Amino acid sequence: MVSSSKESKSEVGRRNFLKTAVVAGAATTLPDEVSAADSPTQAIKSDAQTKRGLAAPSTEQMNMEASTLDQLAEASSEQLASSNSADTASSFGSDFMIDVMKSLDLDYVFSNPGSSFLGLHESITVYGGNSKPEFITCMHEESAAAMANGYYKAALKPAAIMCHGTVGLQHAAMNIYNAWCDRVPLIAILGNTIDAADRMGGTTWRHSAQDPAAMVRDFTKWDDQPASLQAFAESMVRGWKISTTPPMEPIALTVDSTLQEMKVDDRDGLAIPKFTPSEPPQGERGAVRETAGLLVDAESPVIIADRLARTPEGMSLLVELAELLNAPVIDIASRQNMPTKHYLNQTRQSGRLISQADLILGLEVTDFWGQINSVNRAEMTSEPRVKEGVKLITISVNDLYMKSNYQDFQRYAPVDISISGDAEATLPVLIEEVKEAMSRSRSRALSRKEKMFRKMHADSFEESRQLAASGWNSSPVSTARMCMELYEQIKTEDWALVSVGASERFVSSWPHRLWDIDEHYRYLGIGAGGGVGYGLPAAVGAALANKELGRFSVNIQCDGDFMYANGALWTAAHHRIPLLTVMHNNRAYAQETMLVQGTANRRKRGVDKAPIGTVIQDPNIDYAKLAEGMGVWSAGPIEDPEDLRPALIEAVKVVKSGYPALVDVVTQMR
Amino acid sequence: MKMTALANILIFLCLFGANFAVAQDIAIERGEQTYMRVGCYECHGTDGKGNEAGPPLTPDTLPPEAIANFVRFSPGRMPVYPEEILSDAEISDIVAYLDSVKPSPDADSIDILRGLVSEEN
Repeated sequence: MVSSSKESKSEVGRRNFLKTAVVAGAATTLPDEVSAADSPTQAIKSDAQTKRGLAAPSTEQMNMEASTLDQLAEASSEQLASSNSADTASSFGSDFMIDVMKSLDLDYVFSNPGSSFLGLHESITVYGGNSKPEFITCMHEESAAAMANGYYKAALKPAAIMCHGTVGLQHAAMNIYNAWCDRVPLIAILGNTIDAADRMGGTTWRHSAQDPAAMVRDFTKWDDQPASLQAFAESMVRGWKISTTPPMEPIALTVDSTLQEMKVDDRDGLAIPKFTPSEPPQGERGAVRETAGLLVDAESPVIIADRLARTPEGMSLLVELAELLNAPVIDIASRQNMPTKHYLNQTRQSGRLISQADLILGLEVTDFWGQINSVNRAEMTSEPRVKEGVKLITISVNDLYMKSNYQDFQRYAPVDISISGDAEATLPVLIEEVKEAMSRSRSRALSRKEKMFRKMHADSFEESRQLAASGWNSSPVSTARMCMELYEQIKTEDWALVSVGASERFVSSWPHRLWDIDEHYRYLGIGAGGGVGYGLPAAVGAALANKELGRFSVNIQCDGDFMYANGALWTAAHHRIPLLTVMHNNRAYAQETMLVQGTANRRKRGVDKAPIGTVIQDPNIDYAKLAEGMGVWSAGPIEDPEDLRPALIEAVKVVKSGYPALVDVVTQMR
Repeated sequence: MKMTALANILIFLCLFGANFAVAQDIAIERGEQTYMRVGCYECHGTDGKGNEAGPPLTPDTLPPEAIANFVRFSPGRMPVYPEEILSDAEISDIVAYLDSVKPSPDADSIDILRGLVSEEN
């Protein structure tokens, strides 16, 4: 019985090796395939400098590869099903761990291979059939963490990362912090060898720690280092539950290599606890009722939403609340809370509306203080931008967010009513109470504001449309032209802007000004911790989720951010993740150029040194060539805006055929 | 006699005009260099067409005196440019450069922007 099982697994292992070999082979042959004249995704080859040779294969080749891969995967799955059904006993501790992960319906583990989690790695690919979870090969642990972040925001389902508890976690830490600041659940599995007697030689020692999770404890919600397989099962399910309960945050689970290798003789003696998601905490009814009454009576209420919409339902609820009150919404858009073309989306008028408001309701706003005060960073001064007597109300889980070292909780904001509860979960009650408090005459009175807000929305949109024309033919390409040419090519797809890096302001917020962002999934927010190296891998993770959901993923990629984690492009090529990346290549860390210059101005010491350390020139980086080297279709660098449209048309074709593509656009700073 | 005088005047005007044009070209070139060196392009674009970080400076560029007054005492996000960093003469050159920039097309003449509407319905 035991030997039979081993044979089956060896066979599966061999098949997986074949599958891997096909994938690797396909990836390495890609650049040569593109020159095929009949390729639907043929490169724009007329100018080697601006429109580069590509990595996309022909349709036949793609079909053949996909077919071969599917057959191998199918054979592999059948073999596994056979082996697993014939021998239900797990052989090793790591096999049981995979059973636990499967019970949670974990789709993906983003990882760079490492010896402290060899057992788990082998169990994922062989015992688990490399499905639920599938091992996604990452070229850096920082990329792995960002991919898990982006994946969650698109799929609304947690993913795991797996890394050494020492060197791997040090790499991953930055994007775990970004996930922490972004309130994103993430399961970090950390390899470790706890028993020093089990450590075989120098590296094993260097890759072991007494308490690996200590490094990220300040920005994870919970962690554990289970000492038995039963404890692992309970910790994994508990961690999943804690991570996905608002405020959602990453958790870390250290997994002992000795435990992974432990022979399991009595699989039936191990139990996997049932996972039941926690209902998000709802705001206290009395406080919500009081808030509803104040909202109905207010003459100029303003709603500010930041991470309100955890799900598409959050957007629907916000629209309903805003329409009931005819209250303008300012969408900070760490998640897409309000459709951009809804007349009550008055984000562009935030300064004016906040200063005139008699009531401001903040929904999951991380920096509420920053919304009600104006700050002059250069002078390091601030002053309230709200009028005296304004009622300030917040609904959020911020007060349930209990870590102190890292200061992302922002400055303390005194308010009149503070409701601790998940805003999305609280909105149904608030809406019910608003309806209860609303008389017919009050409703009629409030409805008279509609015309004014429609006009404000139209005027603001028109102003943006006119501004977008300014510099339309400029070279370097204006960010307006880049964003609108891109939108023109994707607007008929079921598109999703999966990343804009650390701030949409880097492209002058053109997507939110002029794109029709009408669904929650069309915009996923930013790298919340401001840690560079988020954009590309987060986009790849989100695109992986969108691939299954049939969405067309787009990434506007800043050049500085790109250079931190560009290996994510290879992951996209290797795993056939369709993603259109458009480089916002302003050849600088532009934000820093501006800040250094501002400082030099203030000190009256000249400004011509501001580019030192802040520009990415001499030599200019050829991102298209870089992408091509990783098997990704590419075009550029594009300096003439007239070259942009044909390149984007070709890139869209490549992405629709299931592959990543990159268009390098040399742009204005903002 | 009259013809000679008229010819002289014409020659003078041509030379003056040519010299003026050359001087203007030099001012434009100097202005562009200064514009880039002191970092105006970072927020206002390489040809003054603006973006979210800084408004368009062209067309309808303000006169040098108005710009000088603004940059010397900027109250907002705009960094202050004291005389030591940016002289009045340099500001005049920058204005010459901005005046020389080709105007952008109107939004309605651009196919992509023409059909955009503010609301879904």
